[in-house]
Amino acid sequence: MKHKRSFFAFILISLTVVSGCWDKREMNELAFVSAFAVDLNEEGKYVGTFQIINPGNVAGGLQGGGGQNASITVYSAAGDNLLETEGHVSMKVSRDLYYAHTNLIIISEKVASEKGITELFDLFERAREFRTTTNVVLTRNSSAEEMLSVLTEKDKIPAEQIVNNLKGAEESQGEYQKITIDNVINSLITSGNEPLISAFSIKGEPKKGTKMENIQASQPEVRMEPNGLGVFKNGKLIDWLEGETARGTLWATDKVQATSLNITWKNKKDAIAYQVVRQKTKIAAQLKKDRPKISISVRAEGRIAEVSVSSDLTNPHTLAAIEKEVAKEIKEEIEKAIYHAQINKSDTFGFGDAIHRSHPDKWKKIKSEWNNEYFPSSDIEVKVEAFIRRTGLRTNSYLSDLEQ
Amino acid sequence: MEKAQINLYQLFVLLVLFELSTILAPLGIAAKQAAWLSILIGMIGGLVLFLVYYRLYCYYPDVMPTEYMQILLGRFLGSVLAFLYILYFLYLAARVLRNFGEMLLILAYPVTPLFILNAGLVVVTVYTVRKGIEVLARTGELFAIVIFFLAASSLLLIVLTGLIKVTNLQPMMEVGMGKILETAFSETLMIPFGELIVFTMIFPYVNVNHSKKLRKAGLMAIGFSGIVLAFTMAINISVMGVSIVSRSPFPLLSTIRSIEIAGFLERLDVYFMMVLIIGGFFKFSIILYGAATGTADLFKIKETSRLIYPLGFIVLMFSLAMASSYPEHTYKILHSDAVLFTTSIPFLVVIPIMLLVIAFFKNR
Repeated sequence: MKHKRSFFAFILISLTVVSGCWDKREMNELAFVSAFAVDLNEEGKYVGTFQIINPGNVAGGLQGGGGQNASITVYSAAGDNLLETEGHVSMKVSRDLYYAHTNLIIISEKVASEKGITELFDLFERAREFRTTTNVVLTRNSSAEEMLSVLTEKDKIPAEQIVNNLKGAEESQGEYQKITIDNVINSLITSGNEPLISAFSIKGEPKKGTKMENIQASQPEVRMEPNGLGVFKNGKLIDWLEGETARGTLWATDKVQATSLNITWKNKKDAIAYQVVRQKTKIAAQLKKDRPKISISVRAEGRIAEVSVSSDLTNPHTLAAIEKEVAKEIKEEIEKAIYHAQINKSDTFGFGDAIHRSHPDKWKKIKSEWNNEYFPSSDIEVKVEAFIRRTGLRTNSYLSDLEQ
Repeated sequence: MEKAQINLYQLFVLLVLFELSTILAPLGIAAKQAAWLSILIGMIGGLVLFLVYYRLYCYYPDVMPTEYMQILLGRFLGSVLAFLYILYFLYLAARVLRNFGEMLLILAYPVTPLFILNAGLVVVTVYTVRKGIEVLARTGELFAIVIFFLAASSLLLIVLTGLIKVTNLQPMMEVGMGKILETAFSETLMIPFGELIVFTMIFPYVNVNHSKKLRKAGLMAIGFSGIVLAFTMAINISVMGVSIVSRSPFPLLSTIRSIEIAGFLERLDVYFMMVLIIGGFFKFSIILYGAATGTADLFKIKETSRLIYPLGFIVLMFSLAMASSYPEHTYKILHSDAVLFTTSIPFLVVIPIMLLVIAFFKNR
């Protein structure tokens, strides 16, 4: 009996000890940060901007689309480091800032080109609430604060729309890539692989974009659009890649998921549109007398999507000829991108990494001079194979009948 | 010695749970991309150590190590050595407890005092250990299934997300064979394989008609968990790259956090927490049980269960006092030569081999 009583006392004490109320945080005491942006002010201090969700205005459905109020509120403050900006902002917000749902980090062009991004990421990696799978995006021609303040029409939360937009661009265009904190850090620390971060810019007058009227129109005056890939060197933004150069770079790094390209046929420019469905790139690196030799082999599979000139698409020989043209086109793009990168002296392809893997000993000697000396002078060989697997619901175009 | 018996399968399960609780740590990362190799080498060393412990058990299958030390070395010297071993087990227990509390603190409870978290585990463990080894073994059987499902499903999810990049494991021999061997023998051999010495306290409870079967179960458990640990480390590195893994106190957490499937199967941190709590509980319970049953045997105390409260309390206090910060704690475990040469090597390697040599000559 005595035992039982002491046992119960023991259990009671344990209950108070084990239940763990110390770290409790209630939902209605939290401010969900959907995106975080970094700017630089005139004094060279960081300005942190926080996009905070107003839960009542996001929840649509029964309340008729979430009401007339903005679904987000944006706060910003300056500080010597990122944590300090958070401290200053949290004084203005009535709730605790909560980062577990942050899925976008925006870095302004100014920070990236003037101060560099090298020292930015420690907080995100170290803090418990942040996810290292958070996306990173640059701004182009605008401040990061302006970008976070623009309201969007499709997704109530602008950060969500930017991420989805980028994802769409990555999956269909082949000129953009999603990149996470993890990826950025990994490429910052390896000298043989510089980061490539997609940028967004604001079309229109940024101030108007913060008003609800903007998204009530069928043609919002202010929009955000993906616009180029930022090229870095030693952590600083040095150049933008666009269009074919951007795609060429992504071809070579095996990042193109789907894209379409036009080839000249029967002397007509952009006569056939080829849609890539699947793509695989392999990089092999060798060192010959300390001179790097890189061979890239690309294999693309796809279909013919649009034809504006008559040609016999039922004939395998024609298709083979088209395949050759496509391969030539892809090869040109890649070579253009590599040439561009060699002038920039920034290895965005990870060729240095490939050398590191194949010649770990020699890499130690050349890695400090890789970007400036070895990469620009390396021999690069590009091999492309393209395959046309299907031609859609029609074989020949009706244009062939028109000609007869 | 309490009157209890566990069967071979239960022993196997306890061994595996004990070993796998280190799955959370960056094991052997000093060998960089070859971390998995240094784990496997450590495992081979661990198999050899296990055979040493097993031979000792074969000579004295029915008595505790605390008793056969006295038979081998004489009453006085043997008792002193047995006492030192008990202190070593208490130190191991405190170390595991501290690790457990620190991990929870870093991951989930930033403002809760360490004492509260550690006390939570001590309370649960003391209760289990009081009930005896049979209860612990049956609990182990139950939770082994849970761990198995966690492991299988997380592996499936990692593969499905397409996170594995084999190129991250290259170049494999970047640090050279010397460093790999050094890591294997100074780190991975001691933790987790050498720590199995605690099981010498449990072998006498195993109900086995043929001692060779115990050897088979032990070798299988060590081989299995060694392969799982090496595989996990290889996956960690191939998912996140060597740099992030070597800068993470819990690389497995970051790996699990990168799982993202179809926009809703993500943020599976709870997986990690479950492994942490189940693994921490079993490792701590087994060590504490070893210490308690050894103490009871050495000081001829009939009721082992009475000893658990004071021992639990001592370990709790020790776990708080043993280091002032988490970096200091891990430094002492992994990188401190003083700890390696004064505790790990003598207690796990040198003394058992010496005892075996003496036993060999005594029983010739």
